[in-house]
Amino acid sequence: MSNTEMFKDRNISEDYFLLDIEDYPTTPWEKFKRVVKRSFKGELFVGLWVVLREMIKFDIHTIQYPEEKLPIGPRYRAVHEMKRLWESGTERCIGCGLCEKICISNCIRMETRYDENQRKEVGEYSINLGRCIFCGYCAEVCPELAITHGGEYENASEQREHFILYEDMLTPIDDVLNKKQREFQGFGAITPHEDERLKKTPLAY
Amino acid sequence: MMIRFTIDNIPVEAKKGETILEVARRYGIYIPTMCYISKTTPCASCRLCSVEVKDVDGFVLSCNTPPTEGIEVTTESARLHEERVNIMKLYDVNHPLECGVCDKSGECDLQNKTLEFDVDRQDFSAKDQFRPVKHWNLIDYDPALCILCEKCVHVCNEVIGDDAIEIMMGGYKSTIVPKNSETLDCTFCGECIAVCPVGALVSSGFKYRANAWELSRIPATCVHCSAACPLEYEVRHTGLNGDKAIFRVKNNFEYATLCGAGRFGYDFEVRESNGEDALTKAVDALTKADAIRFSSLITNEEALILQRLKEKTGVRLINEDARLFKVFEEAFSSASGKRFYTAELEDVKNSDAIIVLGTQIATDNPGVRYAMTVASKQNGAKISYFHPIEDDLLQNVVTQFVKMEAGTEEGVVALLAKELLAKTNAPEDIQSFFADLDEGYLEAESNVGEEEFKLMQRQFRRAKKKTLIAGADLFAHPRAKNIATMLGLIEKYSEYKVLLVPKEINTLGVSLICDLDEESKNDSFIVGYNARGDFTISSLHADADLFVPALNQQEGTFTSIDKRVVPTNVALEYEGVCLNDIVKAFGISKEYTVDFTDELVQRDESFEALSFDTLENFLSEVGEDVRGYKLKNRDVSVNFTLEDIEDLPEFNGTVVYHADPVLQFNAYTARTTELPKENFLRGSAQFATAAKIKDGDKVVVDLGDIRIERLFKIEEKLKGTVAINPTFDIELSPNRYRFEKSKIERVQS
Ligand code: SF4
Ligand code: SF4
Ligand code: SF4
Ligand code: SF4
Ligand code: SF4
Ligand code: FES
Repeated sequence: MSNTEMFKDRNISEDYFLLDIEDYPTTPWEKFKRVVKRSFKGELFVGLWVVLREMIKFDIHTIQYPEEKLPIGPRYRAVHEMKRLWESGTERCIGCGLCEKICISNCIRMETRYDENQRKEVGEYSINLGRCIFCGYCAEVCPELAITHGGEYENASEQREHFILYEDMLTPIDDVLNKKQREFQGFGAITPHEDERLKKTPLAY
Repeated sequence: MMIRFTIDNIPVEAKKGETILEVARRYGIYIPTMCYISKTTPCASCRLCSVEVKDVDGFVLSCNTPPTEGIEVTTESARLHEERVNIMKLYDVNHPLECGVCDKSGECDLQNKTLEFDVDRQDFSAKDQFRPVKHWNLIDYDPALCILCEKCVHVCNEVIGDDAIEIMMGGYKSTIVPKNSETLDCTFCGECIAVCPVGALVSSGFKYRANAWELSRIPATCVHCSAACPLEYEVRHTGLNGDKAIFRVKNNFEYATLCGAGRFGYDFEVRESNGEDALTKAVDALTKADAIRFSSLITNEEALILQRLKEKTGVRLINEDARLFKVFEEAFSSASGKRFYTAELEDVKNSDAIIVLGTQIATDNPGVRYAMTVASKQNGAKISYFHPIEDDLLQNVVTQFVKMEAGTEEGVVALLAKELLAKTNAPEDIQSFFADLDEGYLEAESNVGEEEFKLMQRQFRRAKKKTLIAGADLFAHPRAKNIATMLGLIEKYSEYKVLLVPKEINTLGVSLICDLDEESKNDSFIVGYNARGDFTISSLHADADLFVPALNQQEGTFTSIDKRVVPTNVALEYEGVCLNDIVKAFGISKEYTVDFTDELVQRDESFEALSFDTLENFLSEVGEDVRGYKLKNRDVSVNFTLEDIEDLPEFNGTVVYHADPVLQFNAYTARTTELPKENFLRGSAQFATAAKIKDGDKVVVDLGDIRIERLFKIEEKLKGTVAINPTFDIELSPNRYRFEKSKIERVQS
């Protein structure tokens, strides 16, 4: 298996091709030639014609946002989500604090405690979306696949500071029990064939 | 005689008694270890410190092997590496994958060493066990995380002296268990938590509340007793938007030790804020005050500010704790000829003979207790403990308990001085003073006689370094001066170094900086500073008229038992005013309180003219205390008279002794969340009979001028008719002799 093979299956489409781009002009003469060529080629009119044609046909492709919305890609990094375990519905976050630590905009703050089940429990958790740069580091570092990005990109706010709390991000319990929780497939997610790469600890007894 | 050999071809020299590891560390040569802790004897359980020695088969454990002349030691080789990797793999077998929640994560030796040795695969396996977490009061123990390094056991036994835990051997099933007990019953110093290299022993109050990397460390000094132990407050925000708080206390456990009050009694900061006119009222109160009564729970700088105030306004300064200490010390030094007593905690640790007198040392000053434990366990020191109450906490270290009668300290010190000064070059008149003692009477009254001293001397026969520790019972004794004089003679003429144990964190500092006055009935209006007065300015009282920052919210210096000026820093910021702001009205304030640090020398030449910012606050790499600076000791003129010992007082009936329980010292410790606040009157069954009370009774301890309400508790380990009355929750004047006759009344409920 070549080194890059394991990156192949990243659910991108197959029909990518390279653009044929001319070299940049270097000498003043070549630059002058390019200006002349672009000015008189008539590409401008081609463009204007396309617009006019489509206008007459009334076949407009513009998405009528906010009435219409495009589906967002499964790897898009918008407002965070907090996932639950499929089997039990338990919150995945173990309160390790790694997301808080790694966040380069320092916009995650959390508080943990010892709960009655003798586990570490997240008390309060907030992300300041006004500072978040949606880099995805938090999702990548999370050892539990708990914090991920989601498709919710509409987070306009009246204030620069705009907090989102744990409860807002957490998958509703009914959704996970009805198998409606969607796994994030982008930055930080495990690769689809992760199972094959697992090795067991030897257990000699 | 130095032993010369080489480590990795580097020529090195070892002192006698040093191990290869110690030499390597001194020279900065790295040898990995997992179970080594500098302040105990080697645990020698991990084998990670193995090295190779030329012409020696197999590996040598560097942590417990002293070098011999000319050996060639190698610390790195393919074989050693393989051995170490295998050790780390074995540690990792079935180790729970819970770094994500573990309190130790980020500062865990197992994490670090597993990465250091690149353990990325496991060749070993064992059947996992069900090992539930044990809750031991302030401590949680998770056997699944324990790597059985034994550090906790060593430190508990060899440094603390509780000897409360041990390893229950059982191969792979081995765990740490409380010794001879179902659950842990110890003094909860928490030192085992500190030394545990993994997350097996953790503080139950801190558990899962914060990660190591989120906490900022503030180097400071413990304020609860005069040992002035170095510690670090670890601070972080609370909640999402909350104020900062101290989350835990840590220490340089490799060399220093903390007691439980230092470790768990950290949240005593003042959160109250002052009313608008409180400052004006305080200034008015100070203007009309006849006297300021203050406690020794203040910094040197605050003491200097108070002194300046006295110089400016003529206000009298009252601090009985420091004044009595000063009187005692002056009498002591006018006999010894030295400004200060000469012993330090380090001397106690290195002693092989120790006499303790006039203090319930284990709770009065745990720092001294730990030094005694080290002496006992690591040098085999013999310890004679003279006191009316036997202390169960010292049973592992005290080799001779001499039960003396309460109040007879003067007689006991005289007999002791006679014993210790015999065959010394003490001048004739002194010798004859002691020769003329009415020994029969003194022995009969004090219950201490020839037999005890003979036994003591027999124990000390081979001892080379001897220390005498004297404590607070003596300072408030009606005959304190004479006692101090005799102790001064012991310091001067015998081979004993004397250690006086000041009561509070800054008793010594205040006694040097302030001109103190005696309490007087004529003082009609008294301002209290960290003490109660007609107008109370305090960080200790919840009902103060003006709040000032507590000692974990202030920077400044203290003067410790070691006669060392040690700095402390602001762990939590305080919004209100401090003493320096209050005295602005009198024109003596400076920009910062610590601007007074370099002026301490104006009050006593033992101080140095060093500014606060030049003072360091850490222990050196090899564990030397380099905090702040040491007071200069100097010769003073000898000028004393020994007074004849008249009648020794008798304490009959129901006597109480004022002493705090473990983990409690003052109003600060009394208001922390984690520390137990048991304020029982504790006595023996014999005391109960004498006082006609039962266990659990509500009683009033009537001391004549004050009445203290307490619940009575029979403590099986106590004997005799002296009960112990705590003082941390009441303000008892330090000028009361600690033993008092009392009337115990049962309160009908
Ligand atoms: S996406 Fe990046 S900036 Fe935003 S919370 Fe996560 S780590 Fe922080
Ligand atoms: S990294 Fe994941 S598990 Fe850890 S605190 Fe953040 S969300 Fe929770
Ligand atoms: S003890 Fe260390 S290695 Fe073990 S879980 Fe805790 S942090 Fe991780
Ligand atoms: S807390 Fe202190 S006394 Fe108790 S077991 Fe631990 S080391 Fe020993
Ligand atoms: S509890 Fe900690 S210090 Fe004690 S043996 Fe286990 S790992 Fe070592
Ligand atoms: S350090 Fe020597 S055996 Fe552990």
